[in-house]
Amino acid sequence: MRSISARLAVWYALAATLTLACLFVVGYQLLQTHLINGLDLLNSAEFEQIKAHLGDDYMTQSKRVIDERIRETTEFSSVLFYIEIAVPKRGTIFASRNLQTLSIPDIPGQHRYDAEIPKIGELRVAEFVLPSLDITIATPLNPVREVMEGYVEVCAWLLAAMLGASVLIGFGLSRLALRPIRLMREAANRIRSDNLSERIPVMQVQDEVSDLARLLNQMFDRLESAFNQVRNFTAEASHELKTPLTLVRLQAEKLLVGGTLSAPNEEAVQMQLEELARVNQIIDEMLFLSRAEARAITLQSKHNDPERFLKSFSLDARVLAEHGGQHFLALHEGAGSVSFDENRIRQVLLNLLANALAVSPPGGQVTVRSRLNTTEWQVTVEDQGPGLPADQHLRIFNRFVRVNPRDTDGSGSGLGLAICQSIILLHHGYIVAENGAEGRGLKVVFTIPVTPAATTATLGDSRQESR
Amino acid sequence: MKILVVEDQKRLANLVKQGLTERAYTVTTVSTCAQARDTVCEDKFDLIILDLGLPDGDGLDLLREWRRSGFKEPVLILSARDAVQDRIKGLDFGADDYLPKPFSLEELLARVRSQLRRQSDVKETVLECRGIRLDLLHHTAQVHGQQIDLTRREFALLEIFMQSPGRILTRTYISEKIWASHFEVDTNLLDVYMSRLRAKLETNPDKPLFKTIRGVGYQLL
Repeated sequence: MRSISARLAVWYALAATLTLACLFVVGYQLLQTHLINGLDLLNSAEFEQIKAHLGDDYMTQSKRVIDERIRETTEFSSVLFYIEIAVPKRGTIFASRNLQTLSIPDIPGQHRYDAEIPKIGELRVAEFVLPSLDITIATPLNPVREVMEGYVEVCAWLLAAMLGASVLIGFGLSRLALRPIRLMREAANRIRSDNLSERIPVMQVQDEVSDLARLLNQMFDRLESAFNQVRNFTAEASHELKTPLTLVRLQAEKLLVGGTLSAPNEEAVQMQLEELARVNQIIDEMLFLSRAEARAITLQSKHNDPERFLKSFSLDARVLAEHGGQHFLALHEGAGSVSFDENRIRQVLLNLLANALAVSPPGGQVTVRSRLNTTEWQVTVEDQGPGLPADQHLRIFNRFVRVNPRDTDGSGSGLGLAICQSIILLHHGYIVAENGAEGRGLKVVFTIPVTPAATTATLGDSRQESR
Repeated sequence: MKILVVEDQKRLANLVKQGLTERAYTVTTVSTCAQARDTVCEDKFDLIILDLGLPDGDGLDLLREWRRSGFKEPVLILSARDAVQDRIKGLDFGADDYLPKPFSLEELLARVRSQLRRQSDVKETVLECRGIRLDLLHHTAQVHGQQIDLTRREFALLEIFMQSPGRILTRTYISEKIWASHFEVDTNLLDVYMSRLRAKLETNPDKPLFKTIRGVGYQLL
């Protein structure tokens, strides 16, 4: 069972019902003993009555007189009692009429016992002794049996009711007991990189749950401080690096604008400026990666139509391809919207395009295929270059890995694909490289899930459009 | 026009001050939050250039304080923090523009101009200079009376040059104006567009319209 409260409720209900069942069994035994004792008392009372009617002189009276005396008293109670009187060695001298020709079975050595007589049923038997007479009195056990049956029936109903009630009570109690845990879960769920300072509310009382909350909060404290360290480090590193970079840059520009430089010197300063821009780009990329790793990047995601987005990208992609005497083709299928950060995905596509153009031969073609279905948006960037051996397909997403043969002039930082990967991961998607069809060229494929929220937004959007 | 520069790095502050003074702005520099607070109370400025990492506090807090007290003049933030979040936070706190370090002086000047222009905003619908006529309403371009076809991007590119003829526009500035992002800087996309624009506009090869300033940007002569 998945929920603790359901499990607790079931355990509680079973325990409560079992306890009650045990009590009912004990009660059954006690009640039965009590009722049978009652029957024994009745039998003794009947014996006392018989003894009184027999009188003190019964020893000297004839069998007929004794018979008469007993019958006088027993006729009234003949419905209730079965009576048999015997004289040792001479046999039965009296049997009540309701016994007809039957006799009460005798269990030697016992004075109070249950016996069964055919046609009459179960009886409770008591044996009494008057000098020279054995008096056996029996009374039907039937009423006792009936009471016990009624008792069992009532108990069965009570047990069923108890089971139902205890499931409900157990569920309610466990929910009540687990409420602090539920609150903790909700709070812990809310805590993300952008609100790390939030904490789980701790109850005033000191119990296991509040201990757990305190423990979790301590963990969040450590997490937050580690997180802040990363955040501060990147902020400080960028500050420490970028302020001097600005100074160098402004100085170089000043030389250039002054116009007093000789041509070779001017060229050198211009190269300096270009290199500065590269240094800055590398710093930005490294900072981006370390922030992405620390989950300190928040995407500016919006619902966008991939087709419109791709159209806008193709505008620039075609210009870039044509510049190098190459071709660019964009294909899209599927309608709808996906939640993504337009600028970041554009950055990914520009990066993949630049790589693809760099390896494609003159006159070659770079193809971007985009496919949108109800669950995901998949984009493939395919080039006509030499492709890559399969063991490189994973490696190219590592940092500072260069595989493009034309990239040896060092124009790239080797961080491009690592950044693409971290952007796609931030979108909860994945990116892979594989060989193109017929083993020629390289295909880089990224996939972004279409969130459920995006589909509802699509419905809303299309409704607005149709108005 | 009076500009206050709040920057704790003395040499950087001086370079900025020098660049702005050469363009006939009156510049005051201070290096701490406290000084900035006092100076703003004493004097009236048309624009404030604010660095975020100051020795006695965060520039963002200062900005928020000013905006709460009803201070309306444009504030341009200089910062080494270039994350989108920081940028958005700065703009949320009431900054008018955000310039990440390392910046080019030309870029700073372009942004200063655009902030000061915004105050006296007269939106022109026809731009004309160097024999080029750009009709922003009808999206048409003429060179010496001759109609030429420009793509959407080329038109937008020409428009920002025509808005400040003779000025050096940096690559970052152009990229942000046209693509609203600066990732294009990492590719040669801008250079490709510039060469297309040149091919369409420069009729006489001896009289170039645009000058390339390597490592910085372009200039409409």
